[in-house]
Amino acid sequence: MSEERKENIAEVVNDEAAKDEKDGKGIEVEFKLEMHLDDANRVRVLSPGMMVLKRFLRNRLAIVGMFIIVAMFLFTFVGGALYPYSESQVFYKTELVMKDFAGATEIDQFQFQTADGVELPSDINSKALIAVSKKKYVFETRGGEMLGLIPAAEDSDVFLVYALEPTQLFLKGNKEFDSAVKAGRNDFEQDGKIYMFNGEDFKADVYEATEIAVASKRSFTGYSKETNFSYDFYRNSLVAVATKANSFEADGNSYNISDGLVELNGDAYAVVSNMNFNAIDSAVFLSPDYKAAALEAFETSGNSGSFEYADEEGNMVEYRFEKKTGQYTIKKYQDSRLIDTYAAPSKDHLVGTDANGMDLLARLMYGGRISLLIGFVVVFIEVFIGMIIGGVAGFFGGWVDNLLMRLVDVVYCIPAMPLYLILGSIMDYYQASPRARIYLLCVIMGVIGWVGIARIVRGQILSLREQEFMVAADALGISTYRRIFKHLIPNVIPQLIVFASMGLGEVILSEASLSFLGLGIKYPAASWGSIINAVNDSYVMTNYLFVWLPAGTLILLTVLAFNFIGDGLRDAFDPKMKR
Amino acid sequence: MSEKTNEIKENILEVRHLKKYFPIKGGFFGGVTGNVKAVDDVTFSIPRGTTMGLVGESGCGKSTTGRTILRLLEKTEGEIIFNGQDISTYNKKQLRELRTKMQIIFQDPYSSLSPRLPIGEIIGEAVREHNLVPKAEFNDYITEVMKECGLQEYHKDRYPHEFSGGQRQRICIARALAVKPEFVVCDEPVSALDVSIQAQIINLLKDLQEKNNLTYLFISHDLSVVEHISDFVGVMYLGNLVETGATDDIFANPLHPYTKALFSAIPMPDPDIKKERVLLEGDIPSPANPPKGCKFHTRCPHCMGICKEQEPKAKDMGNGHVVRCHLYDK
Repeated sequence: MSEERKENIAEVVNDEAAKDEKDGKGIEVEFKLEMHLDDANRVRVLSPGMMVLKRFLRNRLAIVGMFIIVAMFLFTFVGGALYPYSESQVFYKTELVMKDFAGATEIDQFQFQTADGVELPSDINSKALIAVSKKKYVFETRGGEMLGLIPAAEDSDVFLVYALEPTQLFLKGNKEFDSAVKAGRNDFEQDGKIYMFNGEDFKADVYEATEIAVASKRSFTGYSKETNFSYDFYRNSLVAVATKANSFEADGNSYNISDGLVELNGDAYAVVSNMNFNAIDSAVFLSPDYKAAALEAFETSGNSGSFEYADEEGNMVEYRFEKKTGQYTIKKYQDSRLIDTYAAPSKDHLVGTDANGMDLLARLMYGGRISLLIGFVVVFIEVFIGMIIGGVAGFFGGWVDNLLMRLVDVVYCIPAMPLYLILGSIMDYYQASPRARIYLLCVIMGVIGWVGIARIVRGQILSLREQEFMVAADALGISTYRRIFKHLIPNVIPQLIVFASMGLGEVILSEASLSFLGLGIKYPAASWGSIINAVNDSYVMTNYLFVWLPAGTLILLTVLAFNFIGDGLRDAFDPKMKR
Repeated sequence: MSEKTNEIKENILEVRHLKKYFPIKGGFFGGVTGNVKAVDDVTFSIPRGTTMGLVGESGCGKSTTGRTILRLLEKTEGEIIFNGQDISTYNKKQLRELRTKMQIIFQDPYSSLSPRLPIGEIIGEAVREHNLVPKAEFNDYITEVMKECGLQEYHKDRYPHEFSGGQRQRICIARALAVKPEFVVCDEPVSALDVSIQAQIINLLKDLQEKNNLTYLFISHDLSVVEHISDFVGVMYLGNLVETGATDDIFANPLHPYTKALFSAIPMPDPDIKKERVLLEGDIPSPANPPKGCKFHTRCPHCMGICKEQEPKAKDMGNGHVVRCHLYDK
């Protein structure tokens, strides 16, 4: 029957279309179509559903609401699918940050460079320090070896280390010896040999000295990583440093030296300094030039300052240093990867990022999905349970009605908020996954919220049951099934739709407040409510409006839109409203 | 009309000592504390093809009688004999078959049509439900029924809200007649309509009666309508049928004081006729707590001692004119 009706309507429409066509062609065709008052085509037949739709479409607010909801769906579902970022993608930024680059320490222990094949006793370091401080340059090591130190120059901290062999030498009247004593030295040279003595008069022990190493508080850096320095180079360069000479010779090459920079044939070859440099990153090679620049800066600027040094590409990079407890720390602006938190809206992140460096627009989209989904699922559960229980209570009445309505009363009495709080903490305890939380939340909200719908359906069915058309259906012997589904349900549906569309907004709101309280959707899953959750920090609230304002606006708009639609539907279903 | 009444016809419906009490629930445990005696011992019969009018003031149990006969309400006591069988004991299956034989037309044409069904569906629903006509003929049949009742074919696709009260009542009639009933309870079918439409509907009902040999139980408080359509009239007061008889007899010679009072209220279209109004004092007593003896004695102008003690018995005053009043005790 209904199909046929559609066909009829289609025919009417076709007729009209045909008329339009004829008119449009401008051919004067006289219509012999006479219209009667009771002509079937005179008035378009509208089913109650179509009338509701017509009235609904005339309601501007409802249309606005409809638009908003459609936009929300496009935004959350289509937008979420098209948007390149995902809900829980964390974004990083590289930022120039003053970071420790290298450290420089003044060398306070002797560094020994030994001649080939020589091994120094293990306690040479401490013995040498004692010897230098006491100026007793001849000393015995724990192993019984006699060693001697001879300064490379007066007041220099460069010493040549000698192995001493006791020898017999007549010292009385020895000119060399006398002058050495006079000068306060412990060594003298005679016949091309170097002797050292322990004592101040001619009874002193005399040793014949053989040079085995050079001790200094200096370090060497070659310009090339592969540079290996020979003992000859070490010795002569250090002596040159000590004597403040401008050049020295080693291994047959002649080197120039000034301010610790050693040049070979005009090219920089190595740097000698009393600082030990260490880069924080072991892969970084600190070139002698860099060290020289740093040393110069240390000397001129004192305890803190800055210097510039060109990097590999020739750009000048600023380095800052600071001296603390004898140690220099060199800092430099360096690129570092940081989580991009609270980034303001930009091209990359149109709404910015949140506290976890996730793109807010993506989270709004995915969160909207969850918020809308929860709304619809919960309302579906509510309507499903409410319709069955309310319908059964209303249709069968009697003790069934009584029992079910007492059940409704009981469910009404359950304090929802404390229950949510308890369930939230239970879910926390069992560490429910974000997805499981969503489903559980839906079920819980649905199971608690159906009572309103049950009451409405029951009331509606009770009143409909007494309507004469139901008595007529009874008198006509219409089956119970048809009476329920053809006569009762279609008359309850308007109220249900209105209630459900209003309820949608309510559910979205309560989901938002639950998520805000931290009971609903949990990180990393997003919902509008949980996005707003960021506002529990007043600093965020005042400084990062873009974090919570869009989510709040979306909730507001959606709830408002659902209410508009609900109002529109209620008005449209109201038969008292004019066509 | 007199021809009909004189013929001896088989009774399509006989109602014997029908009682319908509505329990009053009260008290803490919801026990029955009393009964509203809506129909209290009603006996009458209707010959096939005739119309029985049932009159009385509001709340006297007219509609309850009608609905109890149709078994839309379960009787408390008594017999309802339809076509020779006591239908008051029918089970569900038998009742379902009975539905096509007995129908009802309601007073309010607005609430008696489901607002969400098109007219064709409303009228045809029961026809399909009971498989009264083959599927191929279904549409034609519905069209025919609608035309019979003064509706156009294109009304089929329309919805009740698009119709006026008179048209709606025609739809109700079409719905009732579509199942080809033998007996129709017309429960004040014209009270909600204006006078010109009333006439149309009454005439339609009469035409349909002649065509289909229908029997009507015509419930109304409008005496002139009842006089016009009925062959027999029953007057009800507080659940009791106080007087029954042929329409002509009763209208010409009302016996019961209540009937007299009722009929004296019929307006006459002639201003010259001086009518003697019988004015009743007081209100109709509560059917939950009806007066002892004759139920009418509290308002009866001819009340005697016996009226307060004893319930009057039905007395046939000849020609099927039955009255329940102590005035006619002999």
